[in-house]
Amino acid sequence: MSSVLRILLRRLGISVIVLIGVSMLIFAIARVIPGDPARIALGPNASAEQVANLRAEMHLDESIFAQYGYFVSDVLRGDLGQSLYTNRPVTTDIVQFLPATLELVIFAGILMVGLGLPLGILAARHRGRWPDHVIRVLTLLTVSAPSFVWAVILMLLFAFYLPLFPVAGRLGDSFDIATVTGFLTIDTLIAGNFSAFLDALSHLVLPSVALSLSGIGQAARLTRANMIETYDKPYIEMAQAFGFFPSRIAKRYAFKPSMIPSLTIIGLDFAAMLGNAFLVEAVFAWPGLSRYGVAVILRKDLNAIMGTVLIIALTFLVVNILVDLLIAFLNPRIRHSTRASS
Amino acid sequence: MSTLLDIQDLRLSFKGLRGITDVLHGISLSIAAGERVALVGESGSGKSVIARIVLGLLQETRSARVSGKVGFDGAEINTMRPRDRAKLRGTEMSMIFQDPTSSLNPTFTIGNQFAEVMRRRDPKLSRAACDARAIEMLTEVSIPNPDRILENYPFQLSGGMNQRVMIAMALVNHPKLLLADEPGTALDVSVQAQTLRLMHDLVEKHGTAVLFISHNLGVVREFADRVYVIYRGNIVEEGPTASVFHNPGHAYTRALMDAVPRITGAGLPEVPEVSDAFLAPMVRHDRGAA
Ligand SMILES: Nc1ncnc2c1ncn2[C@@H]1O[C@H](COP(=O)(O)OP(=O)(O)OP(=O)(O)O)[C@@H](O)[C@H]1O
Ligand SMILES: [Mg+2]
Repeated sequence: MSSVLRILLRRLGISVIVLIGVSMLIFAIARVIPGDPARIALGPNASAEQVANLRAEMHLDESIFAQYGYFVSDVLRGDLGQSLYTNRPVTTDIVQFLPATLELVIFAGILMVGLGLPLGILAARHRGRWPDHVIRVLTLLTVSAPSFVWAVILMLLFAFYLPLFPVAGRLGDSFDIATVTGFLTIDTLIAGNFSAFLDALSHLVLPSVALSLSGIGQAARLTRANMIETYDKPYIEMAQAFGFFPSRIAKRYAFKPSMIPSLTIIGLDFAAMLGNAFLVEAVFAWPGLSRYGVAVILRKDLNAIMGTVLIIALTFLVVNILVDLLIAFLNPRIRHSTRASS
Repeated sequence: MSTLLDIQDLRLSFKGLRGITDVLHGISLSIAAGERVALVGESGSGKSVIARIVLGLLQETRSARVSGKVGFDGAEINTMRPRDRAKLRGTEMSMIFQDPTSSLNPTFTIGNQFAEVMRRRDPKLSRAACDARAIEMLTEVSIPNPDRILENYPFQLSGGMNQRVMIAMALVNHPKLLLADEPGTALDVSVQAQTLRLMHDLVEKHGTAVLFISHNLGVVREFADRVYVIYRGNIVEEGPTASVFHNPGHAYTRALMDAVPRITGAGLPEVPEVSDAFLAPMVRHDRGAA
């Protein structure tokens, strides 16, 4: 177990460095793009004096290094500053908008793993025969278009022409659900309102499918390829020589070892969905962090930009750490390494 | 002595992109119960495919055409239903492979893999019973601290150690026939010699018949009672080991004997059964590839 702990500590260390790097980079970029944030926030009718006051309050007249210093000391106290767009603390905005994005991405991730892996296993077990051909063609189709294209296609097909699912939003207007976790599928259940739960679920279907389609295809193709490679390994022949059932060989001898190389990439795909969610949220008017992010970038709302980027980077890093731990769990070579590796 | 394996006029061809390739041209080979028989021939002569046919695996490969008779313990393998064939594998017959370390599942412990194999015979066997029996078996192949080995993964053990584990695993269900396809060729010569001697003693004790496949006549000399020499899918010579060695009839056999490397040409090198090198083979590879 100590080796897993070591992996965790090392990844945490790297994550801190990455977060510092990202914060510096975005901090600099946000200040380089043209436009005076104070002027944009106050509007064209504000007087020069009002603008100057706000600039002073935001330390905008000091050097960029001094500004970064203020930023860091605030962040360490858990303060991401005020948003000039919503006039609320950025942390409040994030708490409001992040759960919608996470709910969407987690749902898409479940679809990716829950459909992608079984399809890959099925194709590998029947390689060269019709289930394999069908799965390969379908997955090639899904990976060949980006998620926002799928979002538009799915919306047209299953919301307009065939109105099976709602076009936009997270929940019908008629429902009033108290926010507990921010995840509507959970909050509706907490409220004991089952029809609201179904409504929230039906709102989730199209965006999460759009977001996950290419991930499903990727995961299936990757699983298939790695499993077929594993099927050539001597221990598969050994398992056959011992008469194990093909389904058992697939599960214990081919799938598990082949997951180790697949997982890293599937984890990256999952994290990439955070980025793709921006466009999918735009198409489905999903009130998540991405819409907020776009709005604050257009207004050059410096604090909100920093907050949004940092929280997305943080989520990305957490996903990566979880994937690394899962790999360590699956791969005894990592779990049982007793010496520190360089 | 009753005949355990009786192969008559076995033919095999593969359908490929460039038409049909004939690989076996009417092989006849038999093994009595408890007999150790070697099958020797150069690379590509068709040794491994015979083992895969006896196991009933090639019959289930779509590109392979198998004809002839493969009698095993009174039953006919070639015409059996696939699931009946699968029932024989791992119970009545088992196999050990060339490279022990890569033939064991890298993601499960040795104990786990023993349990899998033992439950082929008796699906309801408890894990404790499996472990006890595995420890017994590992002791038979002279593995020190067998209880600790059960918790190890193959990559934590040396090749020689894994070879012993594989032999123990192959014999744990008391099969009537053991197929050994160039066992331990991936190991260095002295380790290979040790484990072969061990295997020899063990199958003798258990009365297990063995089909020992090798491209090296020298290796089979001390192991086998009888030798078949295969050349391009035909048996070109057959007879008791000693007489084939002293009086090789076929030109190909003589060529094979000339090709035997000197170190094994005079039989297996003498390595004491319990040497220091043997007692300390538990090499721990501490780092992964990363
Ligand atoms: N699945 C297959 N499809 C097509 N041809 C095959 C297949 N398996 C084996 N062969 C061919 O059959 C011939 C015999 O192969 P086999 O593996 O039995 O050789 P071998 O005597 O075991 O050689 P080696 O000492 O190298 O292991 C070879 O020419 C090989 O190319
Ligand atoms: Mg071979």
